[in-house]
Amino acid sequence: MTAYFIRRILQMILVVLISAVASYALLNLAPGGPLQGLRQVQQGGRFQITEDDIARIRAYFELDLFLPYRFTRWLIGEPRGPLVIGGQEYFADLKVGCRKPIESEKLNVDTGEYESIITGCKEDVFMKDLVGRRVSRGVLLGDFGLSWKVLRDRPVTDLLASRLPKTIELLGLQSLLSILIGIPLGVYSAVRQYSRFDYIFTSLAFMGSAMPTFFFGIVLILVFSIIPKDAGWMYLPAGLSESIRDYSIPIIGAVEAGSLKDRFLHLILPLSVLTMVNIAGWSRFVRASMLEVMRQDYVRTARAKGLSERVVIMRHAFRNALIPFITIVVFTLPGLFGGAIITESIFAWPGMGLLYIKALGDFDYPVAMSIFFILAVLTVIATLLRDVLYTLVDPRIRLS
Amino acid sequence: MSAAQVASLSPEAVTIEERSPFQIVMRRFQRHRLAMISLVVMLAMFTITLLAPYIAPFKIQELSVNKYFVPWGTVDAETGRVHHMGTDHIGRDYFSRLIYAGRISLTVAILSVLISETVGIVIGAISGFFGGWVDTILMRFVEFMLTIPQLPLLLIISSMLLRNEEMIAIPDPVLKFMGDILLLSPRDSRNAVLIVMVLAGFGWLSAAQLMRGTVLSLREQTFVEASRSLGASNFRIIMRDMIPNAMAPIIVDASLGLAGYIVGEAALAFLGFGITDPVPTWGNMLAASQQFMLDRPWLPLVPGLPIFLCSLAFNYIGDGLRDALDPRLKL
Repeated sequence: MTAYFIRRILQMILVVLISAVASYALLNLAPGGPLQGLRQVQQGGRFQITEDDIARIRAYFELDLFLPYRFTRWLIGEPRGPLVIGGQEYFADLKVGCRKPIESEKLNVDTGEYESIITGCKEDVFMKDLVGRRVSRGVLLGDFGLSWKVLRDRPVTDLLASRLPKTIELLGLQSLLSILIGIPLGVYSAVRQYSRFDYIFTSLAFMGSAMPTFFFGIVLILVFSIIPKDAGWMYLPAGLSESIRDYSIPIIGAVEAGSLKDRFLHLILPLSVLTMVNIAGWSRFVRASMLEVMRQDYVRTARAKGLSERVVIMRHAFRNALIPFITIVVFTLPGLFGGAIITESIFAWPGMGLLYIKALGDFDYPVAMSIFFILAVLTVIATLLRDVLYTLVDPRIRLS
Repeated sequence: MSAAQVASLSPEAVTIEERSPFQIVMRRFQRHRLAMISLVVMLAMFTITLLAPYIAPFKIQELSVNKYFVPWGTVDAETGRVHHMGTDHIGRDYFSRLIYAGRISLTVAILSVLISETVGIVIGAISGFFGGWVDTILMRFVEFMLTIPQLPLLLIISSMLLRNEEMIAIPDPVLKFMGDILLLSPRDSRNAVLIVMVLAGFGWLSAAQLMRGTVLSLREQTFVEASRSLGASNFRIIMRDMIPNAMAPIIVDASLGLAGYIVGEAALAFLGFGITDPVPTWGNMLAASQQFMLDRPWLPLVPGLPIFLCSLAFNYIGDGLRDALDPRLKL
């Protein structure tokens, strides 16, 4: 058992590390990045930007360091300078980056544009130059560094802390509602298999799981927000998590911006989209596993003992039918953190998903990498948790 | 029943009409009414998008200056062509773009399915057939890929690929081939090739797991033993015994995969990390329509409905195929 856990945890660390290296490399190897805007200004010719300015900005974003050093500085906050052992400095002259790369312009025949290609290095960065540079304590110690663009120079942690409550509010309620509604629906339609309810419900759930969230969200905005608003009926506000100004809605009346009522009204639409899509998937799953269990011998035995149908279904069938459901529920854990990327961006819900999209779009790599890193950690934890829970609820399954 | 009675029955009386396995599957599939309707809908959609250059009155990038958001059915005064669905915010014919978008979305989905299922079949068959360390390495890799959060990683990869298109060298014949299918210039089809690579790069994982499971159970079957005793090579056993017998779940997976890729491609384009304007896809047309929907509420429905219909239809077809191909269900 202990050996199993040690092996699993080592595997988890490996998975997280490899995915962090891969995504960090993907984001940072590519040209563009935070310097792109600068180049456009430079090409526009409105400001004279000297080579030293560019070198300073590159140093500010650590773009002048080689990728492996940048990565370890991001991950564990090292190296901060030459290694000092017993008053003696080591590796002080190790080349760790390039302050002023030599760029040559090359005409791209396909696009007809000039592209700059780095061909050499005018001035190197050495290990001893790293002394005194600002550096984060490293992601592993919970310091996610500073944001580049979304909230410039503010700690990423602040940014995450401001978005996280919104996402947990939306996703937490969503999981709760989906469980409360989805499970009974699934069980009921399994118990009444081939009834009219089962037939209608199964086809609705089928359509629901085929429905792309982004289209569903837009349709809901149309039907419950835009069209009734134009017609002067009662409507639901769509977009953001609370409004900026006071407003009034027919029937509901005046709504104060930021009040509980306002926040509730804004929550309804995104919550409905997420919940309905989730219910569709989850209840189909519960229905299938319930049908599977109802065919088992122990259910027949329970009936043969003369137990009431209610007890048979609730005590004997339902409990066992929920075992495979654990797999799904556990994975709401990373979901709670990551937010629903698509739904949040349709409704401009200021949560983690929207932040992630924005960070990727604005080249704010520290923010994007932090979210991705935490998500990867939570996902592997959820995977382990699922396997452990499996053995707890079903003694036939052994960890090995 | 006496012997005399049996003898009196003519041979014609006991033989039933012979059916090939394909006919049996077709008959079973036809019983799934919604799957049949879906099949007809999809055939219609394929025909329309195949005939795009003959049906669409305008080219996708043709601008009608000063004619933004003209109403449905407006006739172009100079050439007499009709804007069946009006024009978009910069005066391009909406109907023509919708048809070409369908061609692009469907092609991307089909190519992604073909590539991911092929890779999945090969990897899964090798892994399941040979077992041992080959199996361990391959399946550990698949599990590893599946533990990484998918959509966030997909977004990172596609945003990087699309922003730095020039960095990835795609052979010109590939671009030209894609351009010929999509009726685009090779340069414009670059995006589409990249998206296929991204989607298929993740899609083969589940196909490989599926194939491996099937091969593992087939390996113990007597007909494989029979082949081996007749001196068949590993390659021959995989190609002639394993793959054809494992096709049923793969076909179902592929038809459900088509639905997944259409939605996936549209979602990437919708979020701005997929194929971008001026090349039309249903996803980016939907995203573009979002900013005008306050004034024109019907606008998002036009590109959104085909996405939904395709997703639903492929799901139903997959469902029908699952019923039809499952040998445990007897007619």
